[in-house]
Order: sequence, then C-alpha cells, then structure tokens
Amino acid sequence: MAESGSGAADKSVQVKLVLLGEAAVGKSSIVLRFVSNEFQANKEPTIGAAFLTQKCRLEDRVLRYEIWDTAGQERFHSLAPMYYRNAQAAVVVYDVTKASSLEKAKSWVKELQRQANPNIVIALAGNKLDLVQPSSSSSGATSMPESEDEADDATATPGEAAAPGEQPESLRQVPRDEAEAYAKEAGLLFFETSAKTGEGVVEIFTEIAKKIPIEHILASSRGTGRPGAAGRSGAAQEGGVSLEENGAKGKDACNC
Amino acid sequence: MSTISTQLRTFKEPTKEQLTQLFFSIPPSITARSEKDGLERMEINAVLSLSAEAEEDSYAGKLYLIPPFLSFASLDRKSCRFTLPLCTIRRVERLNARAGIYALSLSLWHGMKIVVQLTSLRPTADLFCSMLRDALKAELQHGQMKAVRNFVKTCYSETLVLSTSPAAEEELEEKTPQEGQEGSPSNDTPYHVGLGLKFKFPGDPKKLREASKVKLWTTYLKTHGRNLTLLRYPQCTRLVQVGLPNRLRGEMWEVLSGSLFLRFSNPGLYEQILEDNKGRTSTSTEDIEKDLHRSLPEYSAYQSEEGISALRRVLQAYSFQNPELGYCQAMNILAAALLIYMSEEQAFWLLEVICDRLLPGYYSTSMHGTLLDQRVFESLVQKCLPIIHDYFQEVDVQLSVASLPWFLSLFINSMPMVFACRIIDCFFCMGPKVLFQVGLAILKINGEELLKIQDDGGFIQLMRSYFASLGNSAHPKSPDPRARAITRFQELLLVSFREFAIITDDTIHNERRKFRSEIVFSIESFSKRAAVRNLKSLERFTKEQAGFIYDALYRAMCVVPPPAPVMTPVPSLISDGNEEKPETRIGLRTFRVFLSEVATWARDEKVIINGFQQRVDREVAEHEFIDRLFYFWDVSCKGALSFQDLVSGLDGVMFNDLMENIEWFFNLHDKNKDGYLTKDEVLTLSESLLFIFRFEIGDAYLGAVSRFMTNAFEYGDALLPQPEEKGEEDDAPLPDIGHNQPYLNLATFRMVVLADEILESFFETDLSACFKLEPVPMMDLPSSNNGFLGDLISNIATDDNKKLFNRFTDRIGQTIGKHQVIHRPAIGRYTKLDEPKARESLLTPSMRQSPSTSPTSATDAAVRVPSPSSVSTSNLSAAEASKISPLSMVKNANDALMERPQFAIDDALDDDGDTDDEFGLGEDDGVMDEVDAFLEAHDSGLTEEQRELAKDLLNAKPVK
Repeated sequence: MAESGSGAADKSVQVKLVLLGEAAVGKSSIVLRFVSNEFQANKEPTIGAAFLTQKCRLEDRVLRYEIWDTAGQERFHSLAPMYYRNAQAAVVVYDVTKASSLEKAKSWVKELQRQANPNIVIALAGNKLDLVQPSSSSSGATSMPESEDEADDATATPGEAAAPGEQPESLRQVPRDEAEAYAKEAGLLFFETSAKTGEGVVEIFTEIAKKIPIEHILASSRGTGRPGAAGRSGAAQEGGVSLEENGAKGKDACNC
Repeated sequence: MSTISTQLRTFKEPTKEQLTQLFFSIPPSITARSEKDGLERMEINAVLSLSAEAEEDSYAGKLYLIPPFLSFASLDRKSCRFTLPLCTIRRVERLNARAGIYALSLSLWHGMKIVVQLTSLRPTADLFCSMLRDALKAELQHGQMKAVRNFVKTCYSETLVLSTSPAAEEELEEKTPQEGQEGSPSNDTPYHVGLGLKFKFPGDPKKLREASKVKLWTTYLKTHGRNLTLLRYPQCTRLVQVGLPNRLRGEMWEVLSGSLFLRFSNPGLYEQILEDNKGRTSTSTEDIEKDLHRSLPEYSAYQSEEGISALRRVLQAYSFQNPELGYCQAMNILAAALLIYMSEEQAFWLLEVICDRLLPGYYSTSMHGTLLDQRVFESLVQKCLPIIHDYFQEVDVQLSVASLPWFLSLFINSMPMVFACRIIDCFFCMGPKVLFQVGLAILKINGEELLKIQDDGGFIQLMRSYFASLGNSAHPKSPDPRARAITRFQELLLVSFREFAIITDDTIHNERRKFRSEIVFSIESFSKRAAVRNLKSLERFTKEQAGFIYDALYRAMCVVPPPAPVMTPVPSLISDGNEEKPETRIGLRTFRVFLSEVATWARDEKVIINGFQQRVDREVAEHEFIDRLFYFWDVSCKGALSFQDLVSGLDGVMFNDLMENIEWFFNLHDKNKDGYLTKDEVLTLSESLLFIFRFEIGDAYLGAVSRFMTNAFEYGDALLPQPEEKGEEDDAPLPDIGHNQPYLNLATFRMVVLADEILESFFETDLSACFKLEPVPMMDLPSSNNGFLGDLISNIATDDNKKLFNRFTDRIGQTIGKHQVIHRPAIGRYTKLDEPKARESLLTPSMRQSPSTSPTSATDAAVRVPSPSSVSTSNLSAAEASKISPLSMVKNANDALMERPQFAIDDALDDDGDTDDEFGLGEDDGVMDEVDAFLEAHDSGLTEEQRELAKDLLNAKPVK
C-alpha cells in the first residue's frame, strides 16, 4: 500500500512517541536519522520539545509517528510530563560511552512506568555505538564523545578528532550485557544504535510498531479522536498480542 | 534529581517602591549603592516640558528621585517617560516665573533642556529640591559625571547623530545594504557593534526600509536625547513598533531595557569575569558547549569560530556571574540573537536584565517562572478567548506545547528572525506583557483553524505553518491594494496592541500572584516524588514514609538553608563524563532542625499556658549526642548528609528490636569501632541517655542511668583482664586503664542494660518509637492568599508578629497568674512521679562494694545534669491534666478570659485598631488608583491654562 495512496490515509495509525534521556546522548540525532535519514547539525534546537512526524510501514499498515523529542537538560525535567502524557511509545536513550547516562535512563523508565500511560511501549536505546566499534574509527571521522552526535557538524572544532591509536572498545562504559539484562528485567525493548551510521535506528521504530496494539488505537481513535486515551483502555485487556493477529483484526476493523 | 531547592519559598512580593523601580528599568544593584550613602527616594507631582525645538506637548505626571536616577512618568504611565542617571544632568536652575509657580530647568548631557514644574505644595517641592541637590552632589563625588563622556562614545547613536549632515545621510542610505560585504568594519569603531555588521543582518534592508527608519531615529535622537539621556515620548514608542533599524537595534535594546545602566556602572566587569574564571569548567560550561552549534545554526556567524566563541564567552560569563542559574537551554538562542545586534559586553548585561528582571525565574533550575507564566497565559486565554480554551480542554490539547518556546526564547525559535526581532523590540520597550499580548493575538487570528485541530501535534503544525506565512499578505484577496499590502505580521501586531491592550503590567502581576502558590506547590511535589523515586534504596521504609522524611528535610532546609550544592570532584580515573551530579547535602545545623522534626528528644517542647492560649513552643535541641548521630550517619565522610544518608540512617534505628537497638547505641558511641567503649565513652553514653531522658517525668530514668553507670563501671572493672594482680582490690583501682583505653565490650554493655527494667524497655521499644514519621505541617507559602485582604493577613501574621503576640499574652498570663510552662517529655511513659523498682544487680554484694573511683566521676556527671523534675518551674500536675483532658485547658482559658483585667482588653482592641489603620491606608490607595484612572480618561490632565504656563516656562529666565 503506497503511503501516498488514498487508502493509506484511512489506514494510517497515529502513534505518539516521546524521546527521553540525558542531555547530549543523541536523542535528536536519532530522530533526525529516522525522519530524514540524515546525520548533521541540529537544525532545530530543542526547547521544551521538538515535534516531528514520520510515517513507517508495517505489513499492510502505515503508522504515522508523532515524535516528541524532549530537551535533555535536567531543569527541563519537570516539563517532561507534558510531552509523555498520552504517549503510546517512548524511546529512552543513553550513551554507551557514558555510564551515568544509563542511570538517568533508568530513572526515566521508572518515571514512565509510574506516571505515564500504563500500556506505554518503552524502548531502551544505547546510542553512539559507532564510537565503540572498530569499523567506525577506520572511517576517520571525528570520534570524540563530546563532538559526537549532538554537536557534530560542519563546523566541529578542528583538532578534536580522536587519537588514532585509541582502542574504540575502551570508550565503552556500558556493557551491552548489562544494559540488555536491565531492559529484559524491566520489560523494555532493547537496542544499541548509532545515529551517525544509522545502525539500529529504524529497528527501534519498527519493533515498537510491532508491539503497539494498533487495532485498539485505530478503533478508539475513530470513536473519540483521542489516541492517547485509546491506548490506555486498549491493551489493558490483552497484553502481548502477536503481530499477525494484530494485522488481521485491524483489517477486519477497517473493512466493516 | 539530586538537588533540593527551597528557593521558591523565599519569594517575596515586590513592594510598591520596587515596582516603581522595575517600571523605570532601574537595576537594584545600582540604587543599592546610593542607599548605602543614605540618599533617600522621593516622588512629586510635576509637569514636564521639553525645549521648544522638539515640539512636544507638556505632560503631567510624577517625578521620582531614585538616587542615582531621576525618573518621570506621565499620568497614563505610557505616553511619556524617562529614566535619567543623575550624572547626565549638567545644570539645574530654578526658574523665575509667575508667582506661585515652582519650576526647575534641567540641562542634560546631550544639550536638551527640560523643564519640570513641581506642582506639589511648596515645602514638598523645597524638600525635593534639596534632596535632588544632595543626590547630585554625591554623584559628582563619585566621579560619575566624568565617566559619561567616555561612555557615550561606546554608543552608536553618538556617531549616527554627529555624522549626519544631509550629505552623510545620503551616503548612509547608499551604503547600508552593502555593509555586509565590506568585511570587518574596522575593529577600531569607537562604538559597540554586533556580529550583524560583518555577517549581515537578517532580512532585506530595502524591504525593511532601513534608511528611512534611520533617518527618523536620527531626528528623534537629536532632539530627545539618546543612550543615557533618552526621553521617551509617544513618537519613540511608535518608532519602536514599526521596527528598529538594524544598526541601532542593539543600543536601543540596551536603552529600553535599562541594561545600559548596568554596563555604564560596571565598566570592565564583563572582561574581568572572563579573566577571573579563565579555564574553569562546570556543569554549565559543559552544557553550553553542547548547545553552541545549535544556536541559530543557519546564521552565517554561527558557522564560524568568531560567532561561536563570542556566544561561548557571553554564556559562560553569565553562568559565572550567576552560578545558581548557570545556563539553561534557550538562553543560547537568546544570546545568539542578541549578539547579531550588539557586542558581547552589551549582550552580557542585557542577558542579565532578561534573566533577572524581564523573565524572572524563566531559566532557573526549577524553571518556575516559565511554568508560572504558562499558567498565567492559559488563564488569560480562558478569559479572553474562552471558546478556544474550552475547545482545547475538550480535545485535550495543551497550550504549553506550543506556547512554551514562544515565551522561553522570545519567539526567536518560532518565527523568522526579522519578525521575532520586532516583537523583541516591543518587548524591551513595553515590557513582558507584550509576550502575552502577542500570544493571545496569535491564537485569536488562528481561531477558526484552531477549532479544527485534534491533538497537540495538530496544534504545533498549525502554528508552524502560520509562523511561516507571517510575511504574506493578510488580505490577499482584498481589492484595496493598501489592504493587500498589510502583512500577516502587521496584522498580528495590530491585534496584539489594539485588541489586547487590556493586558497590562498589572494584569500580569495579579495573575502571577494568583497562581504562584499553585505552581510552587506542584514543583515541590514533583521534586519530592522524583527525590523519593531516585533514592538508591528506600531501605525498609514505604514510599509514603520516605516522603515524610523528605518533608522533614525540606522543612529543615527552609529553616536553616544548607550551602549550595557543590560538585564532587571527579575522580581522575573515570573522568570521562562520569562525574557525579551536584547533590543537596545538609550540614550539622540543618541536621539538628531535621532531627527535631523526626525525633521527640531532639526538640525542646514547651507547652505554654497563659490563660489566653495553650501553645507548644518548639525549639531545636543541641547536644553532643545529636552531633554524634550526624557523623555516625555520614558514611561517606563528606561532613554533610544527603537525603539518602538520612533515609539509611533512620532505617538503622527505626526498625530495631531490643538487641539491635542496644548494639546500635553501642556502635554510635564506639568512636573507633574497635568493639570496645572506653571509660570516657561510657560516660558520654550515659550523658546521651540523660539527654534523651531530660524531660521525663519523675526520677525513674535518672535512677536508671545512675544505676547503669554504677553497674557499667563495676562490671567493667570486674571483667577486666587482670594480669597486674599486684595489689588487692581495695588498692587504687585499676590505674592502668586510661580513659581512652578499650574498656567495655558489647556483651558487657548488653548485660548492664538488661539489668535495668527501664533501660530494657527503652531499648526494646522507646528508642525506635522516639522517631516518628508524620506528615509535617508545611509552612505557608509566602503570599499564597490573593488580593488585598490576603496581603494584609500575610503582613500581620508574620512570624515576628506571632512571637510578639505570644510574648504579649505570656506577660498577661504571668500577671494574672495563669502562666505555666511544661516541658513535653520525649518518651512520656511515666506520667506520674512514682519510681519503678530497680532490678537486683547482677553482681554479688561483695563485688558491688568494691571501691572504684570512676563511678564517682560518673555520678558527678549525673549531678551536672539537672534533674528532669527541676528543670522547669512548671506545675507537673498541670502537665498531666493537659495530657488527659485538653478540655480543661479550654476551661482554664475561659476562666482566665473572664478574670482578665480591663487593660488587657484595651490592648487587644488597640491591636485590632492597627489592623484597621492598615486597611484604611490600602483603601486610600484604591481610591487614588481610581483618581488616576479618571485623570487618564480625561486626557493628559492639563488645562489649557497649564499648557500655556508650561510654554511660558520654557522661555523663562533662570533666577540669577
């Protein structure tokens, strides 16, 4: 089904997704990679939250992600509830080269699990994977953690390139196992990503799409026009419905 | 969230005087200096006229002497006003005019001459003049007059006005558009310039009609003063509303916002701050680095090192100047915009004015100002645009998702730069209300479309496309070409200032006041939730209990604010971004207050009955025991305790059984943790017990402690290893055991404690039970009440007044013999004076008789501590009575009331009388406001005759 086709509008499901995480872990870069498949200077500085949309195809269904990319600075924390309320999905991002960012991510997860929509699908994403992969250093790109994702652009300060002899893996502060174990325990989707190379970014959004109880959103968004409320009442009854079932039911719902 | 801030509670409503100062954009830091010199303020009614050349009307209004400034505002507070530094007044003359007229002629630095006719009574006018003279003298002494000459050279307006012969004007017109390509316009320009001069200003200068704007301003500045001496007549505001010319914009922003005065009175400070903090890093500088490249990245200067480093310096300097605020995202965008039009130093001071005065609390760590103004905005939408408001409620759309960035970055992030700048022009000229007016206008103009949106996303997208279309015609289909020429932006300004003129400074002020406590409460409960959630361990507490601990901590911090949270130094091994966050930790003094909230023995509570009232005076106890506990809980040895330390510490004592409590108490006193108490420590431990028992009724506890000491030393001596068995036991006892030597181990201690019924029960339940986690009654927020009456109440019900009242009633109580003070016991197990029997000693009588010198000193210690029953003059039976039946207290009070001598009643009435007075005063104010309003409604308040007179005065000759 073509996204531009007239049928697509019918079947496109709106999903509100919020990105959370410590400052400069690459939230905005992940969004940019997903939305426009670019990696570059941030055209939109994040004040409160930046708002972007992107369509995503899943089987015969089109999801329209409404992405709220929140500001990472600590003092904006108290504004976050404004953005994650009614969200059906959240991507909590940390930086694999910065252990403290995982701690912050955990506290976001806790907060979401307590305060947000109870059926919210949460994904944990360890970003800046390129910094700890041998392959990326060969590309010769600048690899200082500071100048990475957030600040990296055409005007990146010269002389900040990583020391060539540095072992990439030594930059890693969050072992994959540890983060993955935590994600499993907390019931989160887990990814390691690089907004720079694009690795793992699209996967986040497709996996989330699979896990979201689409037909409920669809059904109730027709009724009330409020997808947030729909998600809430929706998956409460049936938790892990398989994707196939989802699709089938959704289709039926559409045809009637 | 590891920092806890009580800052929001210290907020005080500005006084009338402060509001006036705010209105005139006078920085408090500058007037503070004059206040030190003892210069006072005064205001006086006056009529202002400007020398004939300028052809301005005269305006009636008020002249304010706010040393070192002289300010004037016309009656309507907007037509005409000025704020003049006294040092720009070169000459003051009393004018010789018709009898009964009192007028002063002031010659200003830039050659204008203004005449102020003081219309108050003569003695008042005389007083004003003499105060003005004193203030002028003081300025002269400070050498400020000399500073003016050099300072004005840094202002572009000087060059502009002086260089504009007609020929130069034409040249300017020609040159302006190409300015950008000329490369660096010689760095030796005497005046400050922004990046725009080199990197081009946003927008097309032709389209912006720069040349004609410059011409108009040049004329205005020639006749009405400039930079330090600008007189703001209606023409000035009009010119600002059509947009400032790019090259003058920076300076006018400074002048209109008053940041110019800061730059003037702090020469060189900006450079100094940068120099002093060279190479210093902080959380703020790190945050700044992250954002440098995403601050107006599309502007060419910010793609070059020159622009980026200017931005870095300004933001860093501000974060050093105001470390508490530091740096907040959005300030980067603001600073980036300012720097296009002004120099670093100018931008630095303007940033200061914005953060401190124009957008108070917007960028603070709690962002309370932002949240408050969002709430205010919502409330204004509800009032002015109820249909939109209701619709938003219905579809659950939150206004703030779009409006937050409007306010936080002054529309820079939302609109194309040229338009945002024009709103900022108005913002500096007319104040923060402009943001609300424009916000409302945006919603109103898009009203129809807004009623179709379904969710937050739709709202954002609609706003986005609206902002993108601001340059388009507002009426593209109109047959009238003039109507077609009106852009959507012009329409926006028109709607903002015409239809929402009802939104005044007072509106904003009142609305803020209405919602402040609501916002503070929600911020506080949010950070409480976060703090509890982010505890590494709740230990055995429930979340609710942890919340109570937080409350107690919070309250303590309000009473004794701890030092600002500091960054823990980064261990070099994991220096890469693994730094700890700043964390709130409390010192010993705050800890004492905290403990007094949770532990009954850590406070001195006196029940005071004086016949009028029964109240409990609570004081924070101080004792070595409390300090000991503080260091005992400070497991990371930082000399300060975090919230987590307190939770873990309390956990260590609140869930203990008998044996655990004995061990806990033992460890608390075993300083070197070798498992033994020294003799000194045994004594200290006994003193700790006596401290805890100090207000218990009866002698039971005193007896128990004294028996404990006897037993401890007897037992300790008896169990000592005895290699040096030279002498018999009646010899000088154990001289070998120094006071600092290990003496008593846990097992022995336990045995001694268990030998005593009272101590046993104390350790079994009472010790843990002394810690009580209860809802702490939160202190009232400052000015949580609305309106006039609320003010009055909060004025009267200050702590000081309460104390005064308490003292007053106490005195009366004493005279009528109803004054009683009862110490409330910490445990309160015994309410009567009977003494439970001691258990038999574990030691045989023979052992008991063994002489020992140590017990003597121990009993000394006991004697030193006053016996609980003798501590106060209180009547113990009354204490029991109060415990058993509070009703009897009421009866007592009633009795006392009946017996009350006459004078007491009179006094009480006097008290009320004061209240009425204040009330009356306030009402007068209200009346005055009405009068003001009336006058405003009736033109400038000048009769034709007065106008004539004012004209006459302009031509009058000075006296002598």
